[in-house]
Amino acid sequence: MTSESHRDEDIFESQYIDKYLSEYASVSSIVREALPFELIATVGGVAAGIIFSGMTNELEMIPGLIVIYPGVLGLRGNISSTLGSRLGSAIHLGLITDLDRHNPELMNNISGSLILSVIAAIMLGILGHFVTLALGFESAGIFKLVLICVIASFTSGVILSFIAALLAIGMFRFGFDPDNVVTPSIATLGDIISMFMLFLSAKLVVMF
Amino acid sequence: MKKPGHQTPYYTVNGIIQRGLPVLLITCIMGIFVGQILNSREKNLISMPAILILIPSLIKIGGDTGSMLGARLSSAFHMGLGDNLRSNPVVHNSVIAASIVGFVSSISVSILVFLASSFLGFGMPFLTILEISLIAVVIELSVVYCATVAIAFISHRFGIDPDDTVIPFIASLGDLVGVTGIFIALYMLDIL
Repeated sequence: MTSESHRDEDIFESQYIDKYLSEYASVSSIVREALPFELIATVGGVAAGIIFSGMTNELEMIPGLIVIYPGVLGLRGNISSTLGSRLGSAIHLGLITDLDRHNPELMNNISGSLILSVIAAIMLGILGHFVTLALGFESAGIFKLVLICVIASFTSGVILSFIAALLAIGMFRFGFDPDNVVTPSIATLGDIISMFMLFLSAKLVVMF
Repeated sequence: MKKPGHQTPYYTVNGIIQRGLPVLLITCIMGIFVGQILNSREKNLISMPAILILIPSLIKIGGDTGSMLGARLSSAFHMGLGDNLRSNPVVHNSVIAASIVGFVSSISVSILVFLASSFLGFGMPFLTILEISLIAVVIELSVVYCATVAIAFISHRFGIDPDDTVIPFIASLGDLVGVTGIFIALYMLDIL
């Protein structure tokens, strides 16, 4: 009796694994699922690249700006996509239901990620300045680089947090799983918005 | 369930900052490395705006498909499917699928960059852009995927959750190898 139920379990398990392999892990199913998102993401990347190619004046006027650009985009992507996935989890747990300023879960998530953006931006500016000097290149100065990093990552953080919260709550209301929608869209929008904010803050710093 | 707000929140500002900072420090350091590689050839890059458009989108492909690969491997290991590296269908299929997605995306990036740059008036021959993208993507994908599979297996062996370790690191590594790949391609084609 017991051995028979054991065998049933084994058969069930191997069928389950076969099903997983054929439905979720076959080459065509993975490509079909991932390719559309990646193609949209490349459109976002090209849009960010067009803004980048319009920054040649600023790049020449602020030595060291090209050093902090990959870091600013990387930090933004990292902070905002973890915010998006945390909001998704909080919504699934029923902790967030509404775009409510008095909800501590929502506000802690957003203010936590904004504080994180500012701390990381200061680290990035300082590191960028000193590594550039250490390698014998010219730098615009620690103050300017830190200022550009902080302005760019704080403003893009505010915009993206708002979009992430709105998107996560809205998608859940309309019956979509926020985890499937929020992270890819924030990753794509994040590049465009943070590149644009980097452009604006560089322009602002050049004016002074 | 009690109403949230009358109890200690699940997400605290301190908790979010403490968990986030170590990963962000690594992202910062790797980002600065990428920036220094670009900085060493800043003059040449500024004179070729088409390459400036190409860089952000092309270096994303490795990080994006690499993180997808990492997440898939990690889920498969969580399900107990990851005991043998050589004859593991999940690893094989995921690597093949991620490479297909990466290559198709790089071709689409070359077309978009060609259209955008000729529209903005600093066009580059389409074949040159395609050659740069393909050379860079071959280098990028092979390094990033090897690293992803290796890190996923090692962290699985040592009982660390791959979800926490692989993905943030792979995205930064993708940028680093991507820029290096583009520079190697530019040297091979005698553009730089």
